[in-house]
Amino acid sequence: MSGHPNHTAADAPRTGGSTRGFDLASLVEYTKTLECIHCGLCLTSCPTYQLTGVESSSPRGRIHLMRSVAEGDLEPDAEYADEMDFCLLCRHCETACPAGVEFGALMEHARSGLTEQMPRPPLARALRWIGFRFVLPRRRVLDLAGAALRAVQITGVERIGRWLLARAGSVVPTSPRVPKGRARRRLEPSTPADGAARGAVDVLEGCVMPVLFGRVNRATGRSLAGLGYESRPLAGVTCCGSLHAHNGDLDGARTLARRMLAAARATERDGSDPLPLVVNSAGCSAHLKELHHLFDPDDPDRAAAEELAARVYDFTEFAAPRLRRRPPERSIEGAWKGPFAYDDPCHLCHAQQIRTPPRDVLAALPGLELVPLENSEGCCGSAGIYSVLRPADSAAVLEPKLDALERSGARTLVTANPGCHLQWQAGIERRGLDVRVVHVAELVARAYDGRTTE
Amino acid sequence: MAAPSAIDETLLRALEAVVGARGIVSGHARLSTYAADGLPLFSQAPDLVVLPRDTDETARVMALLHTAGVPIAARGSGTGLTGGATPAAGGVVVSTARMRSILELAPADRRARVQAGVVNADLTTAAAAHGLFYAPDPSSQQACTIGGNVANNSGGPHCFRHGNTTRHLLGVVVVLADGEVLDLVRDSNDPVGLDLVGNFCGSEGTFGIVTEVVVKLVPVPERVETLLALFTDLDAACGAVSDLIAQRLEPSAIEVLDRLTIEAVEASVYAAGYPVDAGAVVLCDVEGTDEEVEAIATDLVRIAERNGAFEVRRAADAAERKRLWAGRKGAFGAMGRVAPDLYVADAVVPRTKLRELVRLATEICRELDLKLANVFHAGDGNLHPNISYDRRDPDEVRRVLLAGTRILEACVAAGGSITGEHGVGLEKRDHMCALFGEDDLDAMRDVRRAWDPSGRLNPDKLLPIRRCSEIHADAVTTERVVPSA
Repeated sequence: MSGHPNHTAADAPRTGGSTRGFDLASLVEYTKTLECIHCGLCLTSCPTYQLTGVESSSPRGRIHLMRSVAEGDLEPDAEYADEMDFCLLCRHCETACPAGVEFGALMEHARSGLTEQMPRPPLARALRWIGFRFVLPRRRVLDLAGAALRAVQITGVERIGRWLLARAGSVVPTSPRVPKGRARRRLEPSTPADGAARGAVDVLEGCVMPVLFGRVNRATGRSLAGLGYESRPLAGVTCCGSLHAHNGDLDGARTLARRMLAAARATERDGSDPLPLVVNSAGCSAHLKELHHLFDPDDPDRAAAEELAARVYDFTEFAAPRLRRRPPERSIEGAWKGPFAYDDPCHLCHAQQIRTPPRDVLAALPGLELVPLENSEGCCGSAGIYSVLRPADSAAVLEPKLDALERSGARTLVTANPGCHLQWQAGIERRGLDVRVVHVAELVARAYDGRTTE
Repeated sequence: MAAPSAIDETLLRALEAVVGARGIVSGHARLSTYAADGLPLFSQAPDLVVLPRDTDETARVMALLHTAGVPIAARGSGTGLTGGATPAAGGVVVSTARMRSILELAPADRRARVQAGVVNADLTTAAAAHGLFYAPDPSSQQACTIGGNVANNSGGPHCFRHGNTTRHLLGVVVVLADGEVLDLVRDSNDPVGLDLVGNFCGSEGTFGIVTEVVVKLVPVPERVETLLALFTDLDAACGAVSDLIAQRLEPSAIEVLDRLTIEAVEASVYAAGYPVDAGAVVLCDVEGTDEEVEAIATDLVRIAERNGAFEVRRAADAAERKRLWAGRKGAFGAMGRVAPDLYVADAVVPRTKLRELVRLATEICRELDLKLANVFHAGDGNLHPNISYDRRDPDEVRRVLLAGTRILEACVAAGGSITGEHGVGLEKRDHMCALFGEDDLDAMRDVRRAWDPSGRLNPDKLLPIRRCSEIHADAVTTERVVPSA
């Protein structure tokens, strides 16, 4: 804290040095912090500011902290690290910021800097390594983990464990329910179009999607078939690396990005135009569109990432204009109870500015009554692995959204992202509401082929 | 960090017992984010931040802080532009950010009772369901609080027709420095006896902390049209506004945006379709019945064209109107694209003199080699010369403050004032001497002492803490323009 009353900030020390051996440049992307003019228009958009009312838990406050660290005024201490971890990285503030501060990129950089320079306790570090470097990128390990979790869940071992941990005073995150083995099967190498084919697309099968939401992946294929497209899962990739980038492992994200680029290159057969890559998880589609941020301007992979970004479509974005050309005819009535409400995944509305296409998709489905959901652009608190890392905060962020859901009168909540899907399910269960959660692709598939699940 | 002398463990525990653990901010890093409001030029971190949840908690917090004898700065969202929420050294910030309940919405009475931390735009959103709105609409309305609006008697574009905050206040509940609760809510719309609510409004946190506010709500007009007149230069736009006023035209808002502002807004998420090839635009809202709107709009087009408008556009629908206004309100923040910092001056001039004072401000900034953008409430004669700068450059900071002083002095000399709506705060405290004599200021100091005999509430704000003669002497000998404690 500066000692002079009302000192002007011009007295502040310049950046470029280092505080107790920290490499400031790798801790904070300094020039991006200078875009913030301190107007405060971001405050009310921020879920953690809404929760606490505390300035340091707002985007403006966090940028101030980053800038102070970069200028050598502040040690990157535990308090600083906590405010960086508290952020949900929902990027709602980017939708509010008139100065165009790239808050998402700033936060990813700050978290990465902290991971490198402020090592966490050994156990946390080991768990991170296992999760990010060992499990997520490996299809086999993910399958085994899914099967193991399922075994723990159906035998009741999980409940005993949770009970013990809760007695020890820990807030225990709910583990997502793993469906049975049949539902976890892989996508076929190709799902043909129904009727006259309009074209073909690649789809991203994902890391946790096949384990937890195999039915959504298959519904995506059925929807694409209905739209007239043959779909093929992109071979040779598992995780896109978005969870790594969001959680301070930019190196891990870079490795996975290179793998993704190689897989994308492999699909460019016989000189024809590359196919669209359709992604049904908003967090992943957002990350894949910004993959080039991970590479320096002179890195050839940067150009390749920009080319890949041009191929990436979120499912809703791909489906909306094409539904109009081939409108589905079967009513979705009976399969899910109406009315329906749509909740915007943050990485769709804030990171990709996709707001209308999902609503257009829903409007095109026969028998679907859509009711408005207040604050549908507010974060639900899932935020990737945030709900696991900070279960209490994550649940608190969802509370006002659950109130809004109750007020909306909706019986089915529609989302377009697996994290949000799980978060809503857990919250709805906690509150004992009679509301089901569904991915938009499941509705589209049903409207085309009349099947609810496979 | 060692606990500062005035705030010991016992006091911390007592405060925490009132507001809970989440109602206390005490770490060094977190406290540093409270060092400034929307004017980062002045910065002083508090020793503690307390966030009470209602009037009762505020009263108990204030009583405890009274015993400790520490200076207190009230803070809402910290969007103020004059350093009004910047704490004094060794001070405590009492934040209303957790007091966000709309306590009562009475559409039939056209009034609402809200906690001080309710965000301005949230009140209007809630009232909209009943065909009503809250008229004062500062550009920061999506973040600023009603409590902060009361403290600064805030305005906004539509205050041209509807008047500033004080015109919409029916009552306040305030907590005084010693923790006493004063309920100044009255049932009738007309004050009986001394107008204490009016007295409190604009006191910038020096009288007490407002915890609840009762405001008037206004019916949403039958029809609203938004017109955009395009000019080749700022000078002609100012001339047109003076003419509109002289012709006694009554739109509900008259705003001017110049080219640099338009470029910044159009590059932002608030891009609204402002023409980047215009030198300046005049943005007007016209409201009323169909006939009234048509009559005013027709006159407006005629007057604008007579003053050189090369095109007058009408917003096609509500969505376009909303975009135009969102763009206008995001203008301050959008200037972050031009330079890391922005100094938003706030001065008032007679509306017949808009043209010459805007010219003069341009001249002053050119002389001092500063980048100036203009976006202002022209209808009220409320100038906002926006000067872009970088606070890391001490000489630029010096020139910015010098420009601010010269612009204010010119406005006062032309018969204007040093603030239209942002308040005086820290930034313009010493400029009060340009507007008032020492006797006037002493009378104000007496009023302030009557509300806060302890002198601990925002102690260094609003009124000069030295005699004007000393300030003048200082300014002459040292060219000092930064207020000093």
